[in-house]
Amino acid sequence: MTEYLLGRIDDFPEGKGRAFKAGTRTVAVFRVNGKLYAIANRCVHKGASICDGDLADNGKVVRCPWHNWPFDLATGQHRLDPNERLRTYDVKLDGDRVILCA
Amino acid sequence: MNEMRPPERTGLEKAEAVSPDPINPKIRAIEVIDTDFHFSPKWDTIRRYLKEPFRSRLYHFPVGSLEYNPEPANEKPGVGQDTHGTAATAADVIRVLDQFGIDTVVLNPGYNRPQAIFNEPVIAAVASAHNDYLIEEVFPVSERIKASLMICHRDPQMGADEIRRVGHHKQFVSVFTSFSALFEPIGCAKYDPILDAMAEHDLVLTAHSEGWFPHFTPLWTGSRTWIELFGNAPAGNCMAHLAAMICQGMFDKYPQQKVIFQEGGYWWIPDLMLRLDDFYMSASGDIALTERKLAAGELNLKQLPSQYILDHVRFSTQPITIPKDRKHFAWMLELCHAEDLFCFSSDWPHQTMDPANWVVENPDCIDDEMQKKILSGNARKLYGRL
Repeated sequence: MTEYLLGRIDDFPEGKGRAFKAGTRTVAVFRVNGKLYAIANRCVHKGASICDGDLADNGKVVRCPWHNWPFDLATGQHRLDPNERLRTYDVKLDGDRVILCA
Repeated sequence: MNEMRPPERTGLEKAEAVSPDPINPKIRAIEVIDTDFHFSPKWDTIRRYLKEPFRSRLYHFPVGSLEYNPEPANEKPGVGQDTHGTAATAADVIRVLDQFGIDTVVLNPGYNRPQAIFNEPVIAAVASAHNDYLIEEVFPVSERIKASLMICHRDPQMGADEIRRVGHHKQFVSVFTSFSALFEPIGCAKYDPILDAMAEHDLVLTAHSEGWFPHFTPLWTGSRTWIELFGNAPAGNCMAHLAAMICQGMFDKYPQQKVIFQEGGYWWIPDLMLRLDDFYMSASGDIALTERKLAAGELNLKQLPSQYILDHVRFSTQPITIPKDRKHFAWMLELCHAEDLFCFSSDWPHQTMDPANWVVENPDCIDDEMQKKILSGNARKLYGRL
Protein backbone atom coordinates (compact mmCIF):
# COMPACT_ATOMS: atom_id res chain seq x y z
CA MET A 1 0.00 0.00 0.00
CA THR A 2 1.36 3.38 -0.99
CA GLU A 3 0.07 6.78 0.04
CA TYR A 4 -0.21 9.36 -2.69
CA LEU A 5 -0.63 13.08 -2.25
CA LEU A 6 -3.39 14.20 -4.64
CA GLY A 7 -3.51 17.89 -3.68
CA ARG A 8 -5.47 20.20 -1.43
CA ILE A 9 -9.12 19.76 -0.64
CA ASP A 10 -9.92 23.05 -2.38
CA ASP A 11 -8.70 21.45 -5.63
CA PHE A 12 -11.70 19.08 -5.49
CA PRO A 13 -14.91 20.86 -6.42
CA GLU A 14 -18.05 19.45 -4.91
CA GLY A 15 -19.87 16.99 -7.18
CA LYS A 16 -17.07 16.65 -9.72
CA GLY A 17 -14.66 13.86 -10.53
CA ARG A 18 -10.91 14.12 -11.14
CA ALA A 19 -8.54 11.41 -12.33
CA PHE A 20 -5.06 10.68 -10.98
CA LYS A 21 -2.28 8.41 -12.04
CA ALA A 22 -1.16 6.60 -8.87
CA GLY A 23 1.61 4.20 -9.78
CA THR A 24 0.18 2.01 -12.53
CA ARG A 25 -3.44 2.73 -11.60
CA THR A 26 -5.71 5.49 -12.77
CA VAL A 27 -8.15 6.43 -10.04
CA ALA A 28 -11.19 8.70 -10.17
CA VAL A 29 -11.71 10.83 -7.07
CA PHE A 30 -15.04 12.48 -6.29
CA ARG A 31 -15.98 14.93 -3.57
CA VAL A 32 -19.65 14.47 -2.75
CA ASN A 33 -21.54 16.08 0.11
CA GLY A 34 -18.19 16.91 1.70
CA LYS A 35 -16.89 13.33 1.54
CA LEU A 36 -14.16 11.98 -0.72
CA TYR A 37 -14.43 8.76 -2.73
CA ALA A 38 -11.81 7.01 -4.86
CA ILE A 39 -12.79 4.43 -7.47
CA ALA A 40 -11.08 2.76 -10.43
CA ASN A 41 -11.33 5.13 -13.37
CA ARG A 42 -11.82 2.64 -16.21
CA CYS A 43 -15.34 1.30 -16.63
CA VAL A 44 -15.40 -2.51 -16.75
CA HIS A 45 -18.04 -2.36 -19.49
CA LYS A 46 -16.34 -0.68 -22.45
CA GLY A 47 -13.54 1.39 -20.99
CA ALA A 48 -14.93 4.89 -20.45
CA SER A 49 -13.39 7.26 -17.89
CA ILE A 50 -15.50 7.17 -14.75
CA CYS A 51 -14.13 10.59 -13.69
CA ASP A 52 -16.33 12.08 -16.42
CA GLY A 53 -19.46 10.38 -15.09
CA ASP A 54 -22.50 12.04 -13.58
CA LEU A 55 -23.61 11.53 -10.01
CA ALA A 56 -27.01 10.07 -9.22
CA ASP A 57 -29.07 8.96 -6.24
CA ASN A 58 -28.08 11.98 -4.13
CA GLY A 59 -24.43 11.40 -4.82
CA LYS A 60 -24.34 7.75 -3.80
CA VAL A 61 -23.89 6.56 -7.37
CA VAL A 62 -21.65 7.51 -10.28
CA ARG A 63 -22.95 6.67 -13.74
CA CYS A 64 -20.51 5.81 -16.52
CA PRO A 65 -20.46 8.62 -19.13
CA TRP A 66 -20.78 6.22 -22.07
CA HIS A 67 -23.48 3.72 -21.18
CA ASN A 68 -24.83 4.89 -17.87
CA TRP A 69 -23.72 1.89 -15.81
CA PRO A 70 -24.48 2.83 -12.18
CA PHE A 71 -21.74 2.13 -9.61
CA ASP A 72 -22.03 2.71 -5.89
CA LEU A 73 -19.32 5.26 -5.06
CA ALA A 74 -18.56 3.84 -1.63
CA THR A 75 -18.31 0.17 -2.62
CA GLY A 76 -17.84 0.17 -6.40
CA GLN A 77 -20.71 -2.28 -6.74
CA HIS A 78 -22.88 -2.12 -9.90
CA ARG A 79 -26.38 -1.31 -8.75
CA LEU A 80 -28.08 -3.91 -10.98
CA ASP A 81 -25.55 -6.72 -11.44
CA PRO A 82 -23.96 -8.28 -8.35
CA ASN A 83 -21.15 -9.67 -10.51
CA GLU A 84 -19.86 -6.32 -11.74
CA ARG A 85 -17.93 -3.85 -9.66
CA LEU A 86 -15.16 -1.29 -9.80
CA ARG A 87 -12.33 -1.37 -7.29
CA THR A 88 -12.48 1.32 -4.64
CA TYR A 89 -9.64 2.86 -2.63
CA ASP A 90 -9.26 4.63 0.67
CA VAL A 91 -8.91 8.38 0.42
CA LYS A 92 -8.48 10.63 3.44
CA LEU A 93 -7.79 14.15 4.56
CA ASP A 94 -4.65 15.11 6.44
CA GLY A 95 -5.26 18.72 7.33
CA ASP A 96 -6.29 20.08 3.95
CA ARG A 97 -4.22 17.54 2.02
CA VAL A 98 -5.99 14.78 0.11
CA ILE A 99 -4.22 11.44 0.40
CA LEU A 100 -5.01 8.33 -1.60
CA CYS A 101 -4.08 4.86 -0.33
CA ALA A 102 -3.61 2.55 -3.27
CA MET B 1 0.22 31.57 3.80
CA ASN B 2 2.28 28.51 2.93
CA GLU B 3 4.49 28.84 5.97
CA MET B 4 1.36 28.57 8.17
CA ARG B 5 0.74 24.97 6.99
CA PRO B 6 1.87 22.04 9.16
CA PRO B 7 5.09 20.41 8.06
CA GLU B 8 4.67 18.09 5.05
CA ARG B 9 4.54 14.39 5.94
CA THR B 10 7.27 12.33 4.42
CA GLY B 11 6.70 9.02 2.63
CA LEU B 12 4.02 10.34 0.27
CA GLU B 13 4.22 9.63 -3.43
CA LYS B 14 3.04 12.29 -5.83
CA ALA B 15 0.05 11.33 -7.97
CA GLU B 16 -0.28 13.20 -11.21
CA ALA B 17 -3.66 14.63 -12.19
CA VAL B 18 -4.52 13.25 -15.63
CA SER B 19 -7.20 13.45 -18.32
CA PRO B 20 -7.27 9.80 -19.37
CA ASP B 21 -7.93 8.98 -23.01
CA PRO B 22 -10.51 6.19 -22.82
CA ILE B 23 -9.64 5.03 -26.34
CA ASN B 24 -7.15 2.17 -26.37
CA PRO B 25 -3.86 3.40 -27.93
CA LYS B 26 -3.84 0.39 -30.27
CA ILE B 27 -6.99 1.75 -31.92
CA ARG B 28 -5.10 4.89 -32.92
CA ALA B 29 -2.45 2.72 -34.61
CA ILE B 30 -4.86 0.62 -36.75
CA GLU B 31 -7.05 1.88 -39.58
CA VAL B 32 -10.62 2.21 -38.31
CA ILE B 33 -13.66 2.63 -40.57
CA ASP B 34 -16.92 3.44 -38.80
CA THR B 35 -19.84 2.08 -40.82
CA ASP B 36 -22.65 3.64 -38.77
CA PHE B 37 -22.42 7.22 -37.52
CA HIS B 38 -25.43 9.52 -37.45
CA PHE B 39 -25.09 12.94 -38.98
CA SER B 40 -27.77 15.42 -37.99
CA PRO B 41 -27.67 18.75 -39.81
CA LYS B 42 -29.83 21.46 -38.31
CA TRP B 43 -33.22 21.72 -39.92
CA ASP B 44 -32.49 25.30 -41.02
CA THR B 45 -29.48 23.93 -42.92
CA ILE B 46 -31.49 21.22 -44.65
CA ARG B 47 -34.19 23.75 -45.40
CA ARG B 48 -31.76 25.93 -47.36
CA TYR B 49 -31.39 23.02 -49.78
CA LEU B 50 -35.07 22.14 -49.99
CA LYS B 51 -36.72 22.85 -53.31
CA GLU B 52 -39.98 24.74 -53.57
CA PRO B 53 -42.80 24.31 -52.78
CA PHE B 54 -41.41 22.33 -49.82
CA ARG B 55 -39.01 24.98 -48.54
CA SER B 56 -41.57 27.63 -47.79
CA ARG B 57 -43.97 25.19 -46.14
CA LEU B 58 -41.84 22.81 -44.05
CA TYR B 59 -40.89 24.92 -41.03
CA HIS B 60 -39.71 21.92 -39.01
CA PHE B 61 -38.52 18.43 -39.78
CA PRO B 62 -41.73 16.76 -40.86
CA VAL B 63 -41.88 14.05 -38.24
CA GLY B 64 -44.35 11.46 -39.33
CA SER B 65 -45.22 10.11 -35.93
CA LEU B 66 -44.63 10.39 -32.25
CA GLU B 67 -41.05 9.48 -31.55
CA TYR B 68 -40.07 7.45 -28.52
CA ASN B 69 -36.49 7.94 -27.38
CA PRO B 70 -34.31 6.53 -24.59
CA GLU B 71 -34.67 9.45 -22.17
CA PRO B 72 -37.04 7.62 -19.81
CA ALA B 73 -34.68 4.65 -19.89
CA ASN B 74 -31.28 6.30 -19.58
CA GLU B 75 -32.56 9.21 -17.45
CA LYS B 76 -30.76 11.81 -19.55
CA PRO B 77 -33.42 14.44 -20.15
CA GLY B 78 -33.31 16.80 -23.10
CA VAL B 79 -31.02 14.95 -25.48
CA GLY B 80 -33.49 12.63 -27.20
CA GLN B 81 -31.66 10.08 -29.31
CA ASP B 82 -28.47 12.17 -29.38
CA THR B 83 -27.20 10.83 -26.06
CA HIS B 84 -23.55 11.61 -26.79
CA GLY B 85 -23.90 14.86 -28.72
CA THR B 86 -24.89 16.10 -32.15
CA ALA B 87 -22.78 16.29 -35.30
CA ALA B 88 -24.40 18.91 -37.52
CA THR B 89 -21.42 19.95 -39.65
CA ALA B 90 -18.31 18.40 -41.18
CA ALA B 91 -16.21 20.03 -38.45
CA ASP B 92 -18.32 18.31 -35.79
CA VAL B 93 -17.81 14.97 -37.54
CA ILE B 94 -14.02 15.34 -37.74
CA ARG B 95 -13.85 16.32 -34.06
CA VAL B 96 -15.69 13.14 -33.02
CA LEU B 97 -13.64 10.94 -35.38
CA ASP B 98 -10.43 12.25 -33.82
CA GLN B 99 -11.81 11.80 -30.33
CA PHE B 100 -12.62 8.13 -30.94
CA GLY B 101 -9.66 7.18 -33.14
CA ILE B 102 -11.72 6.70 -36.30
CA ASP B 103 -10.00 7.27 -39.63
CA THR B 104 -12.91 7.12 -42.07
CA VAL B 105 -16.64 7.29 -41.53
CA VAL B 106 -19.74 6.36 -43.48
CA LEU B 107 -22.35 8.87 -42.34
CA ASN B 108 -25.93 7.79 -42.00
CA PRO B 109 -28.68 10.38 -42.07
CA GLY B 110 -29.40 11.59 -38.57
CA TYR B 111 -32.96 11.99 -39.73
CA ASN B 112 -32.97 8.23 -39.64
CA ARG B 113 -36.67 7.87 -39.69
CA PRO B 114 -37.27 9.42 -43.09
CA GLN B 115 -39.51 6.61 -44.23
CA ALA B 116 -41.75 7.44 -41.28
CA ILE B 117 -42.89 10.68 -42.90
CA PHE B 118 -46.45 10.06 -44.07
CA ASN B 119 -46.04 11.97 -47.34
CA GLU B 120 -43.76 10.27 -49.84
CA PRO B 121 -42.94 13.36 -51.94
CA VAL B 122 -41.85 15.04 -48.70
CA ILE B 123 -39.52 12.14 -47.90
CA ALA B 124 -37.99 12.49 -51.36
CA ALA B 125 -37.58 16.27 -50.99
CA VAL B 126 -35.92 15.96 -47.57
CA ALA B 127 -33.65 13.23 -48.92
CA SER B 128 -32.53 15.39 -51.85
CA ALA B 129 -31.86 18.37 -49.61
CA HIS B 130 -29.83 16.21 -47.21
CA ASN B 131 -27.79 14.75 -50.07
CA ASP B 132 -27.16 18.17 -51.62
CA TYR B 133 -25.94 19.55 -48.31
CA LEU B 134 -23.46 16.67 -48.05
CA ILE B 135 -22.20 17.28 -51.58
CA GLU B 136 -21.91 21.05 -51.24
CA GLU B 137 -20.64 21.56 -47.70
CA VAL B 138 -19.57 18.30 -46.07
CA PHE B 139 -17.72 16.15 -48.60
CA PRO B 140 -15.37 18.97 -49.71
CA VAL B 141 -14.07 19.33 -46.14
CA SER B 142 -12.48 15.89 -45.88
CA GLU B 143 -11.97 12.67 -47.81
CA ARG B 144 -12.35 10.93 -44.45
CA ILE B 145 -16.08 11.57 -44.71
CA LYS B 146 -18.18 9.20 -46.84
CA ALA B 147 -21.92 8.76 -46.60
CA SER B 148 -24.96 6.70 -47.35
CA LEU B 149 -27.25 8.67 -49.59
CA MET B 150 -30.79 9.19 -48.46
CA ILE B 151 -33.79 8.18 -50.57
CA CYS B 152 -37.52 7.76 -50.40
CA HIS B 153 -37.53 3.98 -50.31
CA ARG B 154 -41.30 3.71 -50.01
CA ASP B 155 -41.73 4.96 -53.55
CA PRO B 156 -39.32 2.85 -55.63
CA GLN B 157 -39.28 5.21 -58.62
CA MET B 158 -38.57 8.25 -56.48
CA GLY B 159 -35.82 6.27 -54.76
CA ALA B 160 -34.29 5.26 -58.07
CA ASP B 161 -34.48 8.84 -59.39
CA GLU B 162 -32.49 10.15 -56.41
CA ILE B 163 -29.83 7.46 -56.78
CA ARG B 164 -29.42 8.38 -60.46
CA ARG B 165 -29.33 12.10 -59.59
CA VAL B 166 -26.49 11.98 -57.03
CA GLY B 167 -25.21 8.39 -56.96
CA HIS B 168 -22.23 9.22 -59.15
CA HIS B 169 -20.62 11.25 -56.36
CA LYS B 170 -17.70 9.15 -55.17
CA GLN B 171 -18.11 10.01 -51.48
CA PHE B 172 -21.51 8.31 -51.49
CA VAL B 173 -20.62 4.69 -50.90
CA SER B 174 -24.02 3.34 -50.02
CA VAL B 175 -27.78 3.87 -50.08
CA PHE B 176 -29.51 4.22 -46.73
CA THR B 177 -32.71 2.44 -45.92
CA SER B 178 -34.29 0.91 -42.88
CA PHE B 179 -35.72 -2.44 -42.00
CA SER B 180 -38.98 -2.03 -40.15
CA ALA B 181 -39.55 1.20 -42.04
CA LEU B 182 -41.38 -0.22 -45.02
CA PHE B 183 -44.77 -1.77 -45.36
CA GLU B 184 -43.18 -4.71 -47.16
CA PRO B 185 -39.68 -6.15 -46.71
CA ILE B 186 -36.74 -4.56 -48.51
CA GLY B 187 -36.23 -7.83 -50.38
CA CYS B 188 -39.58 -7.60 -52.21
CA ALA B 189 -39.48 -7.30 -56.00
CA LYS B 190 -41.51 -4.07 -55.89
CA TYR B 191 -38.28 -2.30 -54.87
CA ASP B 192 -36.33 -3.50 -57.92
CA PRO B 193 -36.19 -0.02 -59.50
CA ILE B 194 -34.03 1.01 -56.53
CA LEU B 195 -31.77 -2.03 -56.94
CA ASP B 196 -31.51 -1.37 -60.69
CA ALA B 197 -30.24 2.15 -59.99
CA MET B 198 -27.85 0.96 -57.31
CA ALA B 199 -26.39 -1.64 -59.66
CA GLU B 200 -25.44 1.19 -62.04
CA HIS B 201 -23.37 2.86 -59.32
CA ASP B 202 -21.71 0.08 -57.28
CA LEU B 203 -23.48 1.16 -54.10
CA VAL B 204 -23.92 -0.98 -50.99
CA LEU B 205 -27.39 -1.17 -49.46
CA THR B 206 -27.32 -0.06 -45.83
CA ALA B 207 -30.31 -1.47 -43.96
CA HIS B 208 -30.52 0.13 -40.54
CA SER B 209 -32.93 -0.47 -37.71
CA GLU B 210 -35.85 1.94 -37.64
CA GLY B 211 -39.12 2.22 -35.88
CA TRP B 212 -41.41 4.21 -33.64
CA PHE B 213 -43.72 5.30 -36.41
CA PRO B 214 -47.13 4.26 -37.58
CA HIS B 215 -46.00 1.16 -39.42
CA PHE B 216 -46.00 -0.82 -36.22
CA THR B 217 -45.30 -4.47 -36.58
CA PRO B 218 -46.80 -6.96 -34.15
CA LEU B 219 -43.37 -7.09 -32.51
CA TRP B 220 -44.01 -3.62 -31.06
CA THR B 221 -47.64 -3.99 -30.17
CA GLY B 222 -47.95 -4.10 -26.41
CA SER B 223 -44.33 -3.14 -25.77
CA ARG B 224 -43.71 -0.73 -22.92
CA THR B 225 -39.97 -0.32 -22.59
CA TRP B 226 -36.94 0.85 -24.50
CA ILE B 227 -35.43 -2.60 -23.94
CA GLU B 228 -38.30 -4.29 -25.79
CA LEU B 229 -38.55 -1.67 -28.53
CA PHE B 230 -34.88 -1.13 -29.22
CA GLY B 231 -33.07 -3.99 -27.56
CA ASN B 232 -35.11 -6.87 -28.86
CA ALA B 233 -37.60 -6.15 -31.64
CA PRO B 234 -35.07 -5.04 -34.30
CA ALA B 235 -33.45 -8.49 -34.32
CA GLY B 236 -36.71 -10.14 -35.32
CA ASN B 237 -37.34 -7.55 -38.00
CA CYS B 238 -33.80 -7.82 -39.31
CA MET B 239 -34.07 -11.58 -39.71
CA ALA B 240 -37.38 -11.22 -41.54
CA HIS B 241 -35.95 -8.69 -44.02
CA LEU B 242 -32.85 -10.79 -44.63
CA ALA B 243 -34.94 -13.92 -45.21
CA ALA B 244 -37.08 -12.02 -47.74
CA MET B 245 -34.00 -10.88 -49.66
CA ILE B 246 -32.82 -14.46 -49.96
CA CYS B 247 -36.09 -16.34 -50.48
CA GLN B 248 -37.54 -13.83 -52.95
CA GLY B 249 -34.47 -14.10 -55.16
CA MET B 250 -33.03 -10.62 -54.68
CA PHE B 251 -29.43 -11.83 -54.76
CA ASP B 252 -30.07 -14.12 -57.72
CA LYS B 253 -31.33 -11.17 -59.75
CA TYR B 254 -28.67 -8.78 -58.43
CA PRO B 255 -25.58 -10.97 -58.02
CA GLN B 256 -23.26 -8.03 -57.33
CA GLN B 257 -25.46 -6.42 -54.68
CA LYS B 258 -24.02 -6.21 -51.17
CA VAL B 259 -26.00 -5.38 -48.04
CA ILE B 260 -24.91 -4.25 -44.60
CA PHE B 261 -27.39 -4.69 -41.76
CA GLN B 262 -27.10 -2.33 -38.83
CA GLU B 263 -28.43 -2.65 -35.31
CA GLY B 264 -30.46 -5.75 -35.92
CA GLY B 265 -28.08 -7.95 -33.97
CA TYR B 266 -26.07 -10.85 -35.39
CA TRP B 267 -25.56 -13.56 -32.78
CA TRP B 268 -28.62 -15.18 -34.42
CA ILE B 269 -26.76 -15.72 -37.72
CA PRO B 270 -26.05 -19.45 -37.21
CA ASP B 271 -29.66 -20.13 -36.26
CA LEU B 272 -30.98 -18.32 -39.33
CA MET B 273 -28.52 -20.09 -41.63
CA LEU B 274 -29.47 -23.53 -40.34
CA ARG B 275 -33.21 -22.87 -40.34
CA LEU B 276 -33.31 -21.35 -43.82
CA ASP B 277 -31.28 -24.20 -45.28
CA ASP B 278 -33.33 -26.84 -43.50
CA PHE B 279 -36.67 -25.43 -44.60
CA TYR B 280 -35.38 -24.82 -48.12
CA MET B 281 -34.20 -28.40 -48.59
CA SER B 282 -37.55 -29.86 -47.64
CA ALA B 283 -40.08 -27.21 -48.72
CA SER B 284 -38.82 -25.01 -51.55
CA GLY B 285 -41.79 -25.31 -53.91
CA ASP B 286 -43.17 -21.82 -53.48
CA ILE B 287 -39.86 -20.14 -54.29
CA ALA B 288 -41.04 -20.54 -57.88
CA LEU B 289 -44.12 -18.45 -57.12
CA THR B 290 -42.22 -15.26 -56.29
CA GLU B 291 -42.08 -12.35 -58.73
CA ARG B 292 -38.42 -12.51 -59.71
CA LYS B 293 -38.42 -16.28 -60.12
CA LEU B 294 -41.58 -16.11 -62.22
CA ALA B 295 -40.02 -13.47 -64.46
CA ALA B 296 -36.80 -15.47 -64.83
CA GLY B 297 -38.59 -18.77 -65.30
CA GLU B 298 -36.62 -20.28 -62.43
CA LEU B 299 -37.92 -22.77 -59.89
CA ASN B 300 -35.29 -22.60 -57.19
CA LEU B 301 -32.62 -20.44 -55.63
CA LYS B 302 -29.20 -20.72 -57.22
CA GLN B 303 -27.53 -21.81 -53.99
CA LEU B 304 -28.38 -22.68 -50.43
CA PRO B 305 -29.83 -19.76 -48.43
CA SER B 306 -26.94 -19.67 -45.97
CA GLN B 307 -24.46 -19.11 -48.80
CA TYR B 308 -26.13 -15.80 -49.75
CA ILE B 309 -25.40 -14.47 -46.28
CA LEU B 310 -21.73 -15.32 -46.61
CA ASP B 311 -21.48 -13.90 -50.13
CA HIS B 312 -23.64 -10.78 -49.93
CA VAL B 313 -24.35 -9.67 -46.38
CA ARG B 314 -22.29 -7.95 -43.71
CA PHE B 315 -23.20 -6.80 -40.22
CA SER B 316 -22.11 -3.67 -38.38
CA THR B 317 -21.00 -4.50 -34.88
CA GLN B 318 -22.65 -1.98 -32.56
CA PRO B 319 -23.84 -2.77 -29.95
CA ILE B 320 -21.40 -5.56 -29.20
CA THR B 321 -22.49 -7.84 -26.38
CA ILE B 322 -19.70 -9.97 -24.96
CA PRO B 323 -20.40 -13.05 -22.85
CA LYS B 324 -18.36 -13.46 -19.69
CA ASP B 325 -17.16 -16.96 -20.58
CA ARG B 326 -14.22 -16.48 -22.95
CA LYS B 327 -14.76 -19.69 -24.88
CA HIS B 328 -18.37 -18.74 -25.51
CA PHE B 329 -17.25 -15.46 -27.06
CA ALA B 330 -14.76 -17.27 -29.31
CA TRP B 331 -17.42 -19.76 -30.38
CA MET B 332 -19.99 -17.06 -31.09
CA LEU B 333 -17.53 -15.16 -33.26
CA GLU B 334 -16.70 -18.31 -35.18
CA LEU B 335 -20.32 -19.43 -35.59
CA CYS B 336 -21.20 -15.99 -36.95
CA HIS B 337 -18.24 -15.90 -39.36
CA ALA B 338 -17.30 -12.66 -37.65
CA GLU B 339 -13.83 -12.59 -39.17
CA ASP B 340 -15.38 -11.97 -42.59
CA LEU B 341 -18.90 -10.65 -41.88
CA PHE B 342 -18.38 -8.08 -39.10
CA CYS B 343 -17.67 -4.42 -39.86
CA PHE B 344 -16.98 -2.08 -36.96
CA SER B 345 -19.53 0.63 -36.20
CA SER B 346 -19.89 3.16 -33.39
CA ASP B 347 -23.49 4.32 -33.91
CA TRP B 348 -22.36 7.64 -32.44
CA PRO B 349 -24.18 9.49 -30.82
CA HIS B 350 -26.86 7.05 -29.81
CA GLN B 351 -27.40 5.44 -26.43
CA THR B 352 -25.51 2.22 -27.12
CA MET B 353 -22.59 3.89 -28.90
CA ASP B 354 -19.50 1.64 -29.12
CA PRO B 355 -15.95 2.90 -29.20
CA ALA B 356 -13.62 0.42 -30.92
CA ASN B 357 -11.83 -0.68 -27.72
CA TRP B 358 -13.54 -4.07 -27.59
CA VAL B 359 -12.03 -5.16 -30.90
CA VAL B 360 -8.45 -4.95 -29.60
CA GLU B 361 -9.09 -5.81 -25.95
CA ASN B 362 -10.08 -9.44 -26.47
CA PRO B 363 -6.96 -10.81 -28.17
CA ASP B 364 -7.63 -14.34 -26.89
CA CYS B 365 -10.75 -14.37 -29.11
CA ILE B 366 -9.86 -11.79 -31.79
CA ASP B 367 -6.29 -12.06 -33.04
CA ASP B 368 -4.37 -9.24 -34.72
CA GLU B 369 -5.43 -10.20 -38.23
CA MET B 370 -9.10 -10.45 -37.28
CA GLN B 371 -8.90 -7.10 -35.48
CA LYS B 372 -7.76 -5.44 -38.68
CA LYS B 373 -10.51 -7.10 -40.70
CA ILE B 374 -13.27 -6.06 -38.30
CA LEU B 375 -11.94 -2.53 -37.85
CA SER B 376 -11.47 -1.75 -41.55
CA GLY B 377 -10.51 -4.65 -43.82
CA ASN B 378 -14.01 -6.05 -44.21
CA ALA B 379 -15.44 -2.58 -44.84
CA ARG B 380 -12.81 -1.92 -47.52
CA LYS B 381 -13.85 -5.12 -49.28
CA LEU B 382 -17.56 -4.35 -48.88
CA TYR B 383 -17.71 -0.79 -50.15
CA GLY B 384 -16.41 -0.68 -53.71
CA ARG B 385 -15.76 3.05 -53.43
CA LEU B 386 -13.72 3.06 -50.23
